[in-house]
Amino acid sequence: MENTIEMTKSKKARNRKRALVAYSFIAPNFIGFAVFTMIPIICAFALGFLKWDGNNAIQFAGLKNFARLSGDTLFWASLKNTIIYCIGTVPLTMLASLGLAIILNQKIRGRGVFRTISFFPYVASLVAITAVWAMVFHPSKGPVNAILYYVFHIKDLPNWFGGDLILLTLILFSVWKYMGYYMVIYLAGLQGISAELYEAASLDGATTWQKFLYVTWPQLRPTTFFVVVMLTINCFKVYDIAIMLAGGGDGRLGTSSTVLVYYIYQKAFIEWDLGYSSAIAMVLFLMVLIITLIQFRVEAKYENA
Amino acid sequence: MRKKLMSTFLAMVLAATTLAGCGGREETKTQSPDGQTETVGSNVVSGADDAKTVLKWAIWDAKKAAYWQAIADAYTKKNPDVRIEMTDLGSSDYGTVLSTELSGSGSEFDVVTVKDVPNYATLVSKGVLEPLSDRIKKDGVDLSAYNGMTEQVTVDGKLYQFPFQSDFWLLYYNKKIFDEAGVKYPSNDMTIEEYDALVRSVTKSGFGDDQIYGAHYHTWRSAVQLFGILDGKHSILDKNYDFAKPYYEMVKKQEEDGVCRTYIDTNASQLHYSAAFSEGNTATMNMGTWYITTLISSLATGEYDKELVGDWGLVKYPHPEGVKAGTTLGTVTGLAIPTSSKNKDTAWDFIKFAGSEEGAKILASLGNFPAIMTDEVINTLTSLDGFPQDEESKEALKTVQIYLEAPYADNISEINTILDTYHKDIMNGDTSIDDGVEKMNKEVSSLE
Repeated sequence: MENTIEMTKSKKARNRKRALVAYSFIAPNFIGFAVFTMIPIICAFALGFLKWDGNNAIQFAGLKNFARLSGDTLFWASLKNTIIYCIGTVPLTMLASLGLAIILNQKIRGRGVFRTISFFPYVASLVAITAVWAMVFHPSKGPVNAILYYVFHIKDLPNWFGGDLILLTLILFSVWKYMGYYMVIYLAGLQGISAELYEAASLDGATTWQKFLYVTWPQLRPTTFFVVVMLTINCFKVYDIAIMLAGGGDGRLGTSSTVLVYYIYQKAFIEWDLGYSSAIAMVLFLMVLIITLIQFRVEAKYENA
Repeated sequence: MRKKLMSTFLAMVLAATTLAGCGGREETKTQSPDGQTETVGSNVVSGADDAKTVLKWAIWDAKKAAYWQAIADAYTKKNPDVRIEMTDLGSSDYGTVLSTELSGSGSEFDVVTVKDVPNYATLVSKGVLEPLSDRIKKDGVDLSAYNGMTEQVTVDGKLYQFPFQSDFWLLYYNKKIFDEAGVKYPSNDMTIEEYDALVRSVTKSGFGDDQIYGAHYHTWRSAVQLFGILDGKHSILDKNYDFAKPYYEMVKKQEEDGVCRTYIDTNASQLHYSAAFSEGNTATMNMGTWYITTLISSLATGEYDKELVGDWGLVKYPHPEGVKAGTTLGTVTGLAIPTSSKNKDTAWDFIKFAGSEEGAKILASLGNFPAIMTDEVINTLTSLDGFPQDEESKEALKTVQIYLEAPYADNISEINTILDTYHKDIMNGDTSIDDGVEKMNKEVSSLE
């Protein structure tokens, strides 16, 4: 009896020691995360209820920052643009990357080259490729409008960088730039599907479409889940491509192209209204959180089904 | 197979993070347009190593602009017990970096350069600048020499910065285009209507290189909207911007008639004003005096084609009917002392020197525009190598009234955000002039 107690004791001590070693391995990363990410996030939450310019005494503002949101036209414009951008970008990028992955998973000649080509926009420098897009879609000198003018005889040429079209330009750009990255994730997912499943489906006389519908798509579900979650989060964070494509050199956005993160930056570091900008950031955070939670819920439902 | 794919994937991600990870605007910053690497964060020093007092000065473009060093050297030569250490905070986001630097428990700086009025308003409302009014009064400094600029940045009777540099707007023109069109050069006394008629008369529509634009407007709001404040009755603090409508109408009509490049084009090409003017197909361009040195040095180095733009001239800014010629827009760059400085007296002595006539001469000799414009300073500027030698261009530097692009207001940054947004909407054609101005009125009025 005594012996077993002794044994569990030493086992406990050993476990504790093991845990300590494990924690010490995590510590460097975790301390960095806590100091540079977690604590600032908590502070940002608190800031949403305060009025602070970064220097003078901090005043308590209660819900005033949030009340201000309802009457702020530029906030609503940026929220609307961000949501439209996400609704356009997420499904399109997903479909494009899945399609590419399926095609480039076939045994075709030079698929390595094609894979690299589709991945290239993702690794290319943003500044360089936005400059290329700015030229291609240039309102008076770009080839796109030249084709519209000379081939389709459209006299009233569209401005791809303003008005209703800028969001479409941003969506197309983003799909083109990021589909290569998600294609690689889908490729990994496709490689993970056991060949036996396809064999069995063939034996049962399934068509290609049926194979996709009943084998590929269900098997890819975890991958799709990951892709959609990552895409959604990244879409809500859109900022750089809007500045680069619509900012016109001095980085200012009009109501047709302004996005939430740009407005947060503007309020925080140009106007030094840190409380208000934190309130906007919180709206962004809550939106992303709710959408992600819904996605997790849907995924869990399928998992159990 | 799976392992191979996984490793390729990892390699690709790694490559992606190194190539694109820190993309964004960073890349544009590492190199300045003329190919010199920027000197952000570097230190430039003037004075003896064992000097009694050390002044730390926040500046930008330490290597590109020679005047920082020249001013500091002139001062330390007169005051051998002072050593000046300059820190380059970079020009692209100087205001933001400086505000951050001075936040919290203060910084080591004894003298800070305040780039523009919005930057000034931020620092004043943060309460990090030392008021200078008492020192100015005590030393009997005459502020009337600064063309009314100090009054536009006085806050509740207190001045927090001492004017150092000041740029103002002029009309640049390309003589060759006027000669070829057989049109008389612009004059130093033009109303805005006369200006509109003149630029229309030199415009030539055509394909490619044959196209001549009578005017060019940079994408800045100042280049269009602020014709409206030259009458002295309006300012951008008005909360009603109907005064800007005629000028939006004038420029939009010019765009329609092919007199100037459209905003949409300029914006999409990210066309810099210097590129627009140096292409040789722009007859006139309204722009600040800061462009003079760029133009002179780019012509000297051969970066600009002398055939295209070598023969250029300057005239005073076009003005509304009934306003004196020489009335123009301007900006002021000041020097200030942070409240956290430990050498305030020495810092004040240095600031006073830099903003004085003596400092002004040093600035002018290097082609920069000081806040004090005496006849001697103007002579120094017009005798610079490469400055146009006709009398009109020399006369153009004489101003009678400078209205700041942004006068002081504690919410000037918020007003700027709103006006800039709807300026872009109007110029992009996303909204009509009436609707855009209406939104400016409504939203600036609803600010607290």
